[in-house]
Amino acid sequence: MRPVGQAPPRPGFRPPIPQQQQQGQLAQPYPGQQQPGAQQFPPRPTPPHSGQQQMNYRPMGPGSNGPRPVQQQGTAPPRPMQQQQHNQDPSHLQQQNNNALRRPSAQGGQGPHSPSNQRPTMATPPFGSQQQHQQQQQRPPPAMGGGIQQRAASPMIRPANLPPPGSPGMPRPFQSPQIQNRPPPGQFVTQAQQTAPGSPAMNPMGFMSGPPNGQNRSQPPTPRMQHQQQQQQQGAPTSQQLHQQHQQPLHHQQQQQPLHQQQQQQHPPMGQDLGLMAGPPTPTPHSGAQKSKRMYPAGINAYTEPPTYEATPSNHSFQHTGVPAPNQAGGMQQQPPAQGSQFFVPGEKQAPTFGQPAPAYQQGLQPLQGQPLQPNVNQLAGQMGGMNLGNTGYGGAQGIVPISTVALMGTAPKIYDLDAPPPPIRLPETASITQSPFANCDPSYKRSTLNAIPATSQLLTKSRLPFGLIITPYRSVKEGDEPVPVVSDSIIARCRRCRTYINPFVKFVEGGQRWKCNMCYTLNEVPSSFDYDPQTQRPVDRWRRKELNHAVVEYIAPTEYMIRPPQPLVYMFVIDVSYPAVQCGMVATAATTILESLDRIPNDEGRTKVGIITVDSSLHFYNLQAASGEPQMMVVSDLEEAFLPQPQDLLCNLSECRPVLEALLNRMSDMFKDTQNVGNALGPALNSAYKLVSPIGGKIMCLQASLPNLEAGALKMREDPKLLGTAKESTLLQSASSFYKSLAVECSKSQVCVDMFLFGSQYSDVATLSCLPRFTGGSTFFYPAFTAAKSEDALKFAHELAEFLSQRIALEAVMRVRASKGLRMSAFYGNFFVRSTDLLSLPNVPRDQSYSIEVSFDDNLSIPVVCFQTALLHTSSSGERRIRVLTLALPVTTSLSELYASADQVAIATLLACKGVERGMNSKLDDARDALTNKVVDILGVYKTHMTASSSGATPNLQICDNLKLLPLLTLGMLKHVGLRGGSQIPSDLRSYAMHLLSTLPSQCLIPFLHPRFYSLHDMPEHCGTIGDHGIEMPQTMNLSSERLSRSGLFMLEDGQNIFLWIGRDAVPQLCMDLFGVPDYQSIRSGKTTLPTLEADFNQRVNLIVGKAREMRRSSYYSQLYVVKEDGDPALRLWFLSHLIEDRAEPIMSYYQYLGHLKDRVNSGSF
Amino acid sequence: MSAEAMVFLFGVIIGAALLFVKVFFVILISDLEVDYINPIELCNKLNQFVLPEMFVHAFLSFVFLISGQWIATAWNLPLVAYNANKVMNGKHMFDATEIFRTLGQHKKECFIKLGFYLLSFFYYLYRMILALVNDS
Repeated sequence: MRPVGQAPPRPGFRPPIPQQQQQGQLAQPYPGQQQPGAQQFPPRPTPPHSGQQQMNYRPMGPGSNGPRPVQQQGTAPPRPMQQQQHNQDPSHLQQQNNNALRRPSAQGGQGPHSPSNQRPTMATPPFGSQQQHQQQQQRPPPAMGGGIQQRAASPMIRPANLPPPGSPGMPRPFQSPQIQNRPPPGQFVTQAQQTAPGSPAMNPMGFMSGPPNGQNRSQPPTPRMQHQQQQQQQGAPTSQQLHQQHQQPLHHQQQQQPLHQQQQQQHPPMGQDLGLMAGPPTPTPHSGAQKSKRMYPAGINAYTEPPTYEATPSNHSFQHTGVPAPNQAGGMQQQPPAQGSQFFVPGEKQAPTFGQPAPAYQQGLQPLQGQPLQPNVNQLAGQMGGMNLGNTGYGGAQGIVPISTVALMGTAPKIYDLDAPPPPIRLPETASITQSPFANCDPSYKRSTLNAIPATSQLLTKSRLPFGLIITPYRSVKEGDEPVPVVSDSIIARCRRCRTYINPFVKFVEGGQRWKCNMCYTLNEVPSSFDYDPQTQRPVDRWRRKELNHAVVEYIAPTEYMIRPPQPLVYMFVIDVSYPAVQCGMVATAATTILESLDRIPNDEGRTKVGIITVDSSLHFYNLQAASGEPQMMVVSDLEEAFLPQPQDLLCNLSECRPVLEALLNRMSDMFKDTQNVGNALGPALNSAYKLVSPIGGKIMCLQASLPNLEAGALKMREDPKLLGTAKESTLLQSASSFYKSLAVECSKSQVCVDMFLFGSQYSDVATLSCLPRFTGGSTFFYPAFTAAKSEDALKFAHELAEFLSQRIALEAVMRVRASKGLRMSAFYGNFFVRSTDLLSLPNVPRDQSYSIEVSFDDNLSIPVVCFQTALLHTSSSGERRIRVLTLALPVTTSLSELYASADQVAIATLLACKGVERGMNSKLDDARDALTNKVVDILGVYKTHMTASSSGATPNLQICDNLKLLPLLTLGMLKHVGLRGGSQIPSDLRSYAMHLLSTLPSQCLIPFLHPRFYSLHDMPEHCGTIGDHGIEMPQTMNLSSERLSRSGLFMLEDGQNIFLWIGRDAVPQLCMDLFGVPDYQSIRSGKTTLPTLEADFNQRVNLIVGKAREMRRSSYYSQLYVVKEDGDPALRLWFLSHLIEDRAEPIMSYYQYLGHLKDRVNSGSF
Repeated sequence: MSAEAMVFLFGVIIGAALLFVKVFFVILISDLEVDYINPIELCNKLNQFVLPEMFVHAFLSFVFLISGQWIATAWNLPLVAYNANKVMNGKHMFDATEIFRTLGQHKKECFIKLGFYLLSFFYYLYRMILALVNDS
């Protein structure tokens, strides 16, 4: 892929500066930079940050209408340095972690995805390789030849539910030695209590909850004990070892895992399930211990357990050495779900209860509420606090889930938390059968609005929190991201009842012969190929299977998953060549872009097919297989019964017809340049394209610059300014013609996807035309007032079209989300066709499109962990039938506080945006806005009533838990967004397009779209805009308030679709010179611009920042750059100011007014 | 046979037909819920009955009106108005793209209409027998 920002070079278009070049030029010293006080720059009153060299563009002295140094200070980077660290450290660490994660693959094939490695993913700690070294030493050597003995002796206890000894009919070859060597139960308790302080992995409360459970609870620490014991064996642990151990308790788990795998491999028939045991469990404590312990050959326990006592104090003492919090924060960010689950497990859901029948779970639950605080809890809570980016409120006083309440009013919203990871998923420790850090789904693929699921629907209703999933199954994998692991041996283990795919959260029972589905609890046979490879005739390690270690995994589907051979990619272009389209330059630009993108169209196997139809008042087909090598044009002017001339030759193989196609595209702009035809028969053209493509399925790309006005599908100019801002406005947002909807249904049936590129110099009825993409899994792009004469317009379109063509999309897909019994997917939002109650049909899956699904309760949950599994059956663009499976496991809770503490504001905002859009389209925009505010009032009100001391009566402030503190701001962002804002100023085209984006953008792009990023550039620190350790350094984001603007400043605001450079009227000439190459403020041209590339260092830095803003997210949109002058074009200025959502913008309140409004509603109890 | 008996005999026949149509609707809608049928097929099948059903019902009401059966007319008039309103707003057809969102409403409507037709059917039957008894 061509890097973003390097659009195809094209005569007349100015390609942006290639990254490399920019980087190279950076080396040139900037005069002002070397001597900040020298002539080039006016003297600065005071540097905003001591110790930081700054390049400030400040006005000369305190003139009458000029600079206000004090305000300057205020507008200087808004956050103190401490916060800055918060913002930067995690990403920094994340990158380190990524490196660390990748490194092992270079070291002896131990990488996560190396099929030949002995220790798969979970063997690789996500933190520095040094630790790995150590731990590799500590581990027994990988099994090579003599590995069996090694494995047998490896001291690992695997937390799993095992049957009581007496249960009949199960093969338990290693059971008896273990029984003999097991210490008596009493000893267990002591041991556990001693271990407790240093062992975050366990919650000793469990020991007091009754013998059977207590014994169960003794389970978790054992891996750790053994680890320590290993250290002991290898001599006293060095402080560094301990440091790391303390810092990342998870790694011990991970590190231990391979050992347990070895065990497992050595003794396959071990893991058994209590819940389904034939005989009743023996009630003696002894058998209780039995239950929770794995069985080991003689000698292991003796070798393992006693030294634990010695190991514990050393570990304990280490607690005081203090670990810098930011490190932890980084670590947690790296793998939030998995780590959260390992660290801190709320008592009631301690591991071994998992998989047991409901009563055991309930039993464990009651005694735990209000247990005394364990010594390790505080420490853990501290870690959790560090993880939550500066949130110090986590005290963990109840030992349940720490929740910190923050007051909303009176402080500026802490916007840097918008990029914070979602609340950790606190799974019971043994929820996953492998301790792989990838066992739970990454939030960029799938995230839930609640990271702890309420056990009853009453609890959910009481909390008023929305419950849904945000799924981005086909997100793009950028450089540095982990690719999705592929299971290539086409052994697909699925539950025979509910068809769930095997995943890291199932349980192996009956000695590993069967697995118990974690959705419906059916027992299923484990395929024999899990343990034995019939081809090589050698045993294989089932624990190394990718589907048991990764939550996001892709299978290569065998023929049972195909109705027909995988289809090739088909691109059918339907190009409007009527007068307006030619006039605005769309045809020429599109032809050039397609021509230049031909190499980037995925064409791995040479099967990709391409066809072109151009349309004005008649249809023009092109024979691309003409023998002459010249494209042959066929005109069909009978629109009523449009037929296909030479149907075989209209759609042809890209590789074969390449010369003809190139000749056609080269000529296309000239062919129609003198047209006067204003007809546009889109309907017949779409019908013909559908007829051509439907036998294969594929993509129809419509490029339309005028309103269809002939035959079926003709649309009228229906925009009526009088309707805007009234209750009837939503009729303009609904489809005007049923033609497009019924065509969409037909297309969806034949696996045809329609994408719309709309260019409107006038009304183009985005609302109706975007119906086609909406129900066929396509995308809509809208370019209002497009003229290719403006190179910025042409560049944006060319870039987006080229990116879109080169996307490796998925074809003929269906997506289904399965959930644990009791939960049901009730509403779906996004671009697809719902083919059955829970089956989404997606003829194409574009990259980075998000789908939101609302979940509702069928039944109360009696299980400790629920699972959501998304399966996307698709044909990849390389022609393979594949199934992408995303598994997300979440703990169940009965406590309202835990529910609140685990709510994910970003996911909630994404879901609310989808619901708001839906409401706005189907009923009224007013209703949608009211519903959004009501939702927030409900949440705040319930929180106040149930979670704060002041349950009733008026309170002076609004309180909400820390992890939801930005929800009011994001909601306000929605209320002020073009898609939902009131007022009569927004054309319905723009609104429809914004609504389309609101309901399809993944969270990563949606949040900036709702709450744009705002930077101050004139006084950014020296390092911003240079290439640092992790790419281009961005300045600090600021609160979206015009207070931050200063009259001599330069500010940047970007929302993923547009970038605004705001320049104050007192900008110093030096700034104008350096950035725009013009002598003074008056000479700067406002509007769409491309920044010139100049020698000046400042110009290069701003160019880099703009470039970074364009490509830092996973999307194919190319932000348009606007220069906004403080006294320039009023429309543009107002547009810019409308993004400053904390300000009052008539008739919508400012952020503080909005909070006041929310507070009044909460206090009046009207929720 | 008197004219009244004839009218109500006609009513009974039409009422039975409408009843069958509604039962068919309900069956198909529940099929959709348990995934025996896909929404496109469902809509194709149901939509061909929507307008005929409304038309037949309106015609029956008209027959009652001209034959001077005021009670029967008054009983049917609200439904005629409701149907007419739906057709005017273009919301009478089943929309495959929206069907799962509107399934609850459709189901409710189907059941209410089913009950309505059932009551109508027995009323017409009763009136027909009454008229026949009076005749003889």
